[in-house]
Amino acid sequence: MRFDVIELPLWVGLPTVFLLCLLTCALVLDHVREASGRRTAIEKGVALLKHWLSPAQLAQYQKYGYFEVRGGDSGKRYRIGPTHQMNVDELNEQGMRTAWCFGPEGELPIGDVMLAQKIALENDEQATLALANRGNPDQRPLRFG
Amino acid sequence: MAKQIVMDATGDTRHEFDPADAAAVSNALARFKALTAAGFTAAVRRDAGTSELIREFDPSADETVFFPRLRGG
Repeated sequence: MRFDVIELPLWVGLPTVFLLCLLTCALVLDHVREASGRRTAIEKGVALLKHWLSPAQLAQYQKYGYFEVRGGDSGKRYRIGPTHQMNVDELNEQGMRTAWCFGPEGELPIGDVMLAQKIALENDEQATLALANRGNPDQRPLRFG
Repeated sequence: MAKQIVMDATGDTRHEFDPADAAAVSNALARFKALTAAGFTAAVRRDAGTSELIREFDPSADETVFFPRLRGG
């Protein structure tokens, strides 16, 4: 394959290069701004979550990255972990777990998701599980620690 | 100052109001109604990490958080 080299006059080439540089800078700045906004959102979500956790839940979260809540209707234990999918484990006395998947609509940072899950399970457990998707009971080692 | 905290993609948006200011309380009530009508759940923070879901606006609550409708994942 053969490429022809097109020679542009200097008065066309320089402005073109300049415009390409400007465009590249704008794209990079936009990317940096977006990443910074995402980071801020994550930090805000985690701060809100920590503010609403009980002292015991906060200690557990800071140590392991997850925390446990008691279902408001059944008193069952649930472990809420820091992922967006299947991050709620129902625990029983034999160490078996059942994964549950539910969360608030929209693109929320993980701290917000975990807080909404905590509030829902502690205050409206049955209605929450009624809309959640349930995984199979599992005897594998517990996740998140 | 009382706070209404609305979860969103930026983390949250906060609205503070003075419970002694009738106009501010009226605005907060309108916000509460608009958000719950849009499917948000409202919960007030009690002490020691406990919370309570509310269906009616509570002007005496220090902190009310609103999260979008839950759905199965």
